[in-house]
Amino acid sequence: MAKARKSRGESMLLRYLVLGGWALVCLLPILWFLSIGFRPRTEVITPQPIYWPTFSLDAWHLLMSDWPIAKYLRNSVIAVAGSVVIDLMLAIPAAYALARYEFKGREDIGFYILSTRMMAPAIVAVPIFFLFKTLGLLDSVWALMLIYAAINLSLVTWIIRSYMLDIPKELEDAARTDGAGDLTILREIIVPACLPGIITAAVIAAIFAINEFLFTLLIASTSNAYTMSVALANFTGGSDGIIYNAIALVSFIAFVPILILVILIQKHLSRGLTMGAVKG
Amino acid sequence: MASIHLQNIEKKYGAFVGVQNMSLEIADEEFLVLLGPSGCGKTTTMRMIAGLELPTGGKIVIGGEEMTEIDARDRDVAMVFQGYALYPNMSIYENIRFPLRMRGIPKAEHDARIRQAADMVELGSFLDRKPGALSGGQRQRAALARAVVRQPQVFLMDEPLSNLDAKLRQSMRVQIKHMQRQLKVTTVYVTHDQIEAMTLADRIVIMNKGAIQQVGTPDQIYSDPANTFVAGFIGSPPMNLIEGVAQNGRFVAPGVTAACPGYVQGRVTLGVRPEDCHVGGDNVQGMVYGVEPTGDTTYLTVLAGTKKIEVKAAREYRSDIDVPISITFDPAHLYFFGEDGQRIRGAA
Repeated sequence: MAKARKSRGESMLLRYLVLGGWALVCLLPILWFLSIGFRPRTEVITPQPIYWPTFSLDAWHLLMSDWPIAKYLRNSVIAVAGSVVIDLMLAIPAAYALARYEFKGREDIGFYILSTRMMAPAIVAVPIFFLFKTLGLLDSVWALMLIYAAINLSLVTWIIRSYMLDIPKELEDAARTDGAGDLTILREIIVPACLPGIITAAVIAAIFAINEFLFTLLIASTSNAYTMSVALANFTGGSDGIIYNAIALVSFIAFVPILILVILIQKHLSRGLTMGAVKG
Repeated sequence: MASIHLQNIEKKYGAFVGVQNMSLEIADEEFLVLLGPSGCGKTTTMRMIAGLELPTGGKIVIGGEEMTEIDARDRDVAMVFQGYALYPNMSIYENIRFPLRMRGIPKAEHDARIRQAADMVELGSFLDRKPGALSGGQRQRAALARAVVRQPQVFLMDEPLSNLDAKLRQSMRVQIKHMQRQLKVTTVYVTHDQIEAMTLADRIVIMNKGAIQQVGTPDQIYSDPANTFVAGFIGSPPMNLIEGVAQNGRFVAPGVTAACPGYVQGRVTLGVRPEDCHVGGDNVQGMVYGVEPTGDTTYLTVLAGTKKIEVKAAREYRSDIDVPISITFDPAHLYFFGEDGQRIRGAA
């Protein structure tokens, strides 16, 4: 006889065990970070790991008193949010033109825009440095805003374009016969219809911008324009040597906004990353 | 309200000719149906009238004004699309309101006009819903309301019923016809469904391969087809077209003979509608191929030589297959077409 069939309940249990196990593997480093961040400094540097630490806010107090975390966070938020706004303002009309207007070289221009993303960033690091030096924008949050916008513009354009391609052309034809012009169609029909795509593109751009390191390090020469990513790299815990629990806590704080963004767009993320490779 | 004149319009896509040298006069308040198989140029013709596509040649005049190069938004033309094309982010109310806003109609008038249009298509109680929360028939009615609300000079309808099921299509058809008569707006309607064309149209334009095959009232198109394409396209089942030879007043094909006028000579095609064929007599000697009762009538297929001939038989007619059978044609309703497919007509 055939082997006994598993009941529905058993197979569900198995699924939960496997998925739960995998989730634990993925989450363990983050939980370990968190546990280091909230234990006393002495417990961090023992030769034998202590799995059940005593809870302590030492690292938190150290950060709050000695380290301008609020300033770094503010810099990050200004530069990232500003860059996303610039990206959307440029990318939405560009994506619409690439998705809808018939003109010679349309595909070439689309590919050229995307190809700017293929270049290794280090290649342009030195020219960018001199460019911003000439413009007097070194060590400024505004410079970071422009750089993040430039880095992500191609990606944002392409993600939005792929969503726009999925909007039935009939909708625009209808709006046109109803008496709407191009800008009205873009504003009232196209943008609302591909809002999920625009949000996805914005969040992906924000995540890339938050994590941007190379150009931030290049432009932000003092803590004036440090964002979380560079401040984190420079952080050792102060004058008393390397303070691991404070580093762990800062890392966790830097990680939280990204986590929130990813949770927000989880539903659209895979779609946004495949970018019209398979039309949804 | 307006008449529409198409003068020698033409649409080419590179080497491909979508519509060739088409001239057509559409009278004020007329309901004109463009009928043809897919790819025949009917939708392209309509899109050129709408201004969504520019002709590569010719002239379009709407209401006495030349519109050939005028943008769609500046033509007073409303269009209903096959896929409804309702704006998904707006409520039905806002959808119907959109053309009023775009055309700068005073805000004070909006509400009354929207409700009037919605009532006309019986959607009054759905105004605050989003299109996604409506059924297919309701969406198409909403699209109709959006078209009528601004009282345009011309309605264009591009296969508006083809996404609906058969039953709904019938009731929507009546509604569209009623509305057009009520509003007296010149209407151009594109379809590939001959029943829609026959039931709705004042006049039908039959198109094939980018060219007009025949223009006429439904009766003319049905009873006086200009060529084999029209003859074979209209009617359900369509006209039997039997290729044979005519000589000295006699048409002969395998298993088929019939009297024909003396001016019909040589290789010709005989056309006869299934309802003009009757069981018995001597025009066709063949075998029963199949019998299809539909309730109100029975369709009989007769194999004569290698040709299958459709006969509309009496309701109670029944037969086994492969039984010898003879058929007569109604001699008053025989059509003859030449080798070029065009109808052969005697000297008037």
